[in-house]
Amino acid sequence: MFTSGVKGQTKMAPSKKKHASSQPCIIPGGFTVLSLQFRSDSAAQHKLYVKEHKVRAEKSSRRPLDRTLFVLNIPPYCSEAVVKELFSQFDCVQSVELRDHPGSFQEPGPKLSRFFKPAEKKGFKVGYIVFQNSSGVTAAKSHPYNAPLVVCTEQRPVRTGVQKWIQQYTESFIQPDKLQQIVDSFMEDYDKRKEQEEERQRKEAEQQQEDEEGWVKVTRGHKGTKARPHSEAANKRALQKEMRKKKRKELMNFYTWQHRNTQKEHIAELRKKFEEDKQRIALLRAQRKFRPY
Amino acid sequence: MKKKKTVAEDPAEMNASDSSHEEDSEEAPVKAKRSKPDEAGGEEVVYHPVKLSRNDLYRPPTAEELNQLKEAESLFHCSLLKMQMEELLKEVALSEHRKQQIDSFIQTVTELLQSVPDSAEVEVSDLSWLSGAVKVPFLLVPKTTKGKFHMAPPASVDLIGSYPLGTCTKPRVMVDLAVTIPPDVLHPKDVVNQRYPRKRALYLAGLAQYLTSSSDIGTMRYSCLHGNRLRPVLLLTPPGSSSFTVRVHACPPPGFFKPNRFHPQRNNIRSEWYTGLQTSQSENSEPPTPRYNSSVLGDLLPRAHLQFLSAVSSQCSAFAHGVALLKVWLRQRELDQGTGCFNGFLASMLLAYLLSTHRISNTMTAYQLLRNSLNFLASTDLTVNGITLAKNPDSTAPSLAEFHSAFQVVFVDPSGHLNMCADMTACTYKQLQHEASVSMEFWDNPTVDGFHSLLMTPKPMIRTSDHVFQLCELVKLQSSCKKLNLLSELMDHSGNYVHAALPFILSLLQRGLGQRIRLLTHSLSPDLEWSVESEAPKHKAQPPLSFGMLLRPELAASVLERGPPADSPKAAEFRQLWGSRSELRRFQDGAITEAVLWGGESMCQKRLVPKQIVTYLLQLHADIPESCIRYVGAMVDDVIKTGSEVPTTGEEESLLVVQSYDDLSRKLWRLEGLPLSITAVQGAHPALRYTQVFPPVPLKLDYSFFEREKTSRSLVPKEGKPCPAYITPIKVICHMEGSGKWPHDRLAIRHIRTAFHIRLGGLLKKHHNYTCRPCPTHLDVWKDGLVFRIQVAYHREPQVLRESVNAEGLLIVRDNEEAQALEMATIHKPLLTSTLHGLQQEHPCFGAVCRLAKRWLGAQLFSEDITEDTSDLLVASLFLQPAPFTPPGSPQVGFLRFLHLLSSFDWRNNPLVVNLNNQLTAADYTEIKNDFMASRESLPVMFIATPKDKNLSIWTKRAPCVQMLQRVVMVAAESLKVLEHQLMDGSQTQDVRVVMRPPLDAYDVLIHLNPKQVPLLCQAVDPPPVNFSRGVLTSGRAQSGGALPVVDYNPVSLYLTELRDAFGDLALFFCDPYGGSVIAVLWKPKAFIPMPFKTSQVSARCVEVTGEEVNTVPNVEAILEDFRVMGEGLVKSVEARTEKWSF
Repeated sequence: MFTSGVKGQTKMAPSKKKHASSQPCIIPGGFTVLSLQFRSDSAAQHKLYVKEHKVRAEKSSRRPLDRTLFVLNIPPYCSEAVVKELFSQFDCVQSVELRDHPGSFQEPGPKLSRFFKPAEKKGFKVGYIVFQNSSGVTAAKSHPYNAPLVVCTEQRPVRTGVQKWIQQYTESFIQPDKLQQIVDSFMEDYDKRKEQEEERQRKEAEQQQEDEEGWVKVTRGHKGTKARPHSEAANKRALQKEMRKKKRKELMNFYTWQHRNTQKEHIAELRKKFEEDKQRIALLRAQRKFRPY
Repeated sequence: MKKKKTVAEDPAEMNASDSSHEEDSEEAPVKAKRSKPDEAGGEEVVYHPVKLSRNDLYRPPTAEELNQLKEAESLFHCSLLKMQMEELLKEVALSEHRKQQIDSFIQTVTELLQSVPDSAEVEVSDLSWLSGAVKVPFLLVPKTTKGKFHMAPPASVDLIGSYPLGTCTKPRVMVDLAVTIPPDVLHPKDVVNQRYPRKRALYLAGLAQYLTSSSDIGTMRYSCLHGNRLRPVLLLTPPGSSSFTVRVHACPPPGFFKPNRFHPQRNNIRSEWYTGLQTSQSENSEPPTPRYNSSVLGDLLPRAHLQFLSAVSSQCSAFAHGVALLKVWLRQRELDQGTGCFNGFLASMLLAYLLSTHRISNTMTAYQLLRNSLNFLASTDLTVNGITLAKNPDSTAPSLAEFHSAFQVVFVDPSGHLNMCADMTACTYKQLQHEASVSMEFWDNPTVDGFHSLLMTPKPMIRTSDHVFQLCELVKLQSSCKKLNLLSELMDHSGNYVHAALPFILSLLQRGLGQRIRLLTHSLSPDLEWSVESEAPKHKAQPPLSFGMLLRPELAASVLERGPPADSPKAAEFRQLWGSRSELRRFQDGAITEAVLWGGESMCQKRLVPKQIVTYLLQLHADIPESCIRYVGAMVDDVIKTGSEVPTTGEEESLLVVQSYDDLSRKLWRLEGLPLSITAVQGAHPALRYTQVFPPVPLKLDYSFFEREKTSRSLVPKEGKPCPAYITPIKVICHMEGSGKWPHDRLAIRHIRTAFHIRLGGLLKKHHNYTCRPCPTHLDVWKDGLVFRIQVAYHREPQVLRESVNAEGLLIVRDNEEAQALEMATIHKPLLTSTLHGLQQEHPCFGAVCRLAKRWLGAQLFSEDITEDTSDLLVASLFLQPAPFTPPGSPQVGFLRFLHLLSSFDWRNNPLVVNLNNQLTAADYTEIKNDFMASRESLPVMFIATPKDKNLSIWTKRAPCVQMLQRVVMVAAESLKVLEHQLMDGSQTQDVRVVMRPPLDAYDVLIHLNPKQVPLLCQAVDPPPVNFSRGVLTSGRAQSGGALPVVDYNPVSLYLTELRDAFGDLALFFCDPYGGSVIAVLWKPKAFIPMPFKTSQVSARCVEVTGEEVNTVPNVEAILEDFRVMGEGLVKSVEARTEKWSF
């Protein structure tokens, strides 16, 4: 994959130089507008908006600030591979991350086979492209407006429509034993993780055990100010206590005042209903809902 | 006995209630006035929950208030119904302004009439005195009759009928004016041979001629009273707007003729005169002419009737209101107009009868009057036990038995001589009775909106009757009269062969259809109107006669009519009825009986057995050729018809699918070697509840058409070939036993489920040799030429999906879409499927109605908004709560009611409660309604509550939105109008598919698809003449095993998903899922408003820079280009129809 990207870059390079005389288009806000068209003879172009990736506190090392290009409005037919090749003309691309919305990097969960990944939404994407050198970012930002990127070329056909759907259908097949293998390996992994988790929970539970007199040991939480034991088990206990208290209180229509109150409530209920009905009628009358013809 | 007692007790109670009732009505207008200004200011009236202050709610109640609240609670279901009735009465009552207009017009007309000049005496047959323009409103057959006639000013002009009585209601305000012909114009012998009716017609013509010169009269037309040609009337309207009509009757002076001359067994038309042939019959042997007699007698009595009714109404305060309600009720059922109708006059007389027999008391409210009269109608059969208002009739008056022998329905007036229901057929009365009993049934049902069904829902015949047919060329009835030998009836009806033949045709059909129908109704010929300057129209000049049938679904479609044993005396009768079709047959039980066998293989053919019977009988006995009969029973069914040899509407195919599924389910249950046992196997696909529009058909594949996938040897579509036939995966949910071994983690559950899919597939392959394809989400099983998609479910999975652990290690439970979707798929859908499957067993045409409804929704491009499940629920509600109808007995009538429900239901103010399995009680209904009202704004616009889902409306949560619902309502109303018009009017071009062709001019872009790649092309509303080969062999039986076919591969839906994913924010995409080859695109207007540049909102948009400001707008050219790119191979052309985005 990577080598093909390099190849693409070397081939694209001359054409880029030819148009270097024209100016890049930069809009207020610091985004450079790049044009993108599907085929070299396409009539209309999409506009990509690129800028260097800049956030105040980037926690993840996956998006180094100086080498990451932030790209908006990537059309649905551009997969990660296609984007990688498209931007390889500026510099060697290290990684491409496509997302539905801009946002901070999220750690992926346990590794999943592609058959188990939930279906992705195939809309317009936001991309974070990490170049190997920071020069890639500047090259992309100064790319002239009137030299459009071309998605589908003869060397690099991109399948869409019926061809793509047939391909998708074909690729959706997997042999049962291979699928079984994936399942088995995942479950092994899961069992391991579960054991570790159980171990951790047991320790936590030990800490929060009430002693004979009902005292709970309170320790500082990791943020420093935790006072009450905050856990699933503790919450449940508190809830149950409340329920028990409530149950003890209930005693209906026992005293005379209670009885009187119920009657009063009934009349009030009737009155309320009457008023409600009156209002409903007024509403319907306004909509002329009483005309039988 | 018991009944009487309650009636006797009532008055005391009623006194109290009545006073409070009046007080209430006084209060209401004040309230209304007060609330009006806000409404006008706010424009849109919104319901806000009432907020009463504590003081208001808890102040000590007065005795009166207590009474009023109690009455509302016990007498009416709720105060709402009472108030609704009052509002309705206000709507139909004549305004003071209108009354003044009427009074002044009556004044002018009376004055004009009294100044009619005298004219010279001439022979009756001499019409020369009528100057050219004005014609006589009478069919002069036979041409001549004896007698002299001259014009003279009327002896008196009086108001009669409903207007002076105060029971006149809107719409169609008719004011009756009786003009008394001076006695010297008439002769006591004039009753004979139509002399009097002709003189009356002449007199009317004379009046009309005089009035033409006056400028105070607007339009002037002739009509005839209740379609009786012997009783013409003159209709006058004031100049300018005509909000009312004055009907001028000419009457003989009171008591001019002796009433005993009109005894139903006396003859007043001589056959010698009528036929023009010399006969030697004496007067006594002449056939009686009861109908002629009663039409003349009817003219003598209107003043007496008015007096009688005014006396009654002056005693009963709610009389006028009661009559008004009854009239509205009759009007909605189309029973109040035409020949033999139950008009307002009869309604008043009925109330008078009930009052005089103390079945109702003078102090009852209008609501109770209506209720009691319906109860009386429902329980009394006037065709057998006639009633009379005469207290002590004179000795010459006929007895009830004599009336019964002459008329079908008997209701005798106070004089004792006149049968007021003379023209009514037994069928009409039966219809009235049926309507009354249906009304009583649902009135008591607290779960039905009684007011609406009772008084607000119109019941036209086409929407009420399961099957309808029309006699188009009424002239043909002349020959049936001949065939049935009806000369004396013809004489009695004075030549009106339509009315003469009708009762005989009805009884013939009743006999022939027998147990197959519950009710036979017929349209009442409307009162004709014609201009005073044209001749009276012929008898055939009326719209076609329509007959409606309510079918008994369990018997109507049977192809065998089993008669009596061959040797029984009834056999001859049976043979006489069925003629040559009757043959001796030997049955399995050994009996040899007469029987008739009708044709029909599939359900949709069998449903038309009544049609075969009707056409056969009418041809055989009444000489009415088949070409004259327009049978409207299954015209709409065409759009869901499939089947090459035997046309079917899908019942048979659905049954095959269900049988195959049952087999699979049994096999699943029996599987051994699974780590956990199966607890339930449930179908979750419309095909398993008989509601799939085009049920899956077992297919046999042409393997050479496909490519093979390498690893699993499954079939794969070939590039360049047409898209293969679409194979619907039929979804089956397989619940696994709960166990501690299930992991408590979403991903792990997903993997375990996959393991189950693999294991199930393995076992099915091993034991039954089914080709299986396990996937993480499902298992596809190729069986009997069908594909079942089994999904393993674990009942705690939705719960697990809702749980998550937050940063502090605390378990939080939060509802999310994923869990809801899973619950929908594994719990709600299977439940709905099994419930509706049950409904289909109860109502055999449920499935067909659903299919028609969904076909329409699909064709009109609404399938995305009104989903299959929603639509099935809507149809289910028609069967579960048919009031004021009966459950639909044919697909067509069900479909019409579906359209009516969609278009007329008040979605804004009411929840639609679908009481599946009858699980909801009245209390639940109130609860649902209250919850709905309290949080209307946050609930879906189309709110459907079911027993398992009382206050969320899960089926309509996602769609439709307000705008779409509005459009659906509009299109449904229009479709209903067009369709009913077509079905009832034979003269129009007959193409019911018109309602299935959507108007495409409202859309901005049309994407035309390449028909080659549309796999369901042959299901389109207008299927193309040639279709592509799609890899399906037509011959040979489908079998299990072999390579897995291409399952669930539909380029159109894949394309639509991609389009919606990519451009869902900018546009809406519509497509008919059943073979639609065009995708309609509608831009969202909001998306085209320039927006400031934001990183989260730049999808498919381009920037416009003005100074420092950066706005974005959709990049339409690029989007249109994308439509082409993304649908490469599928899209034929993209047609942009508007330039809307350029604004």
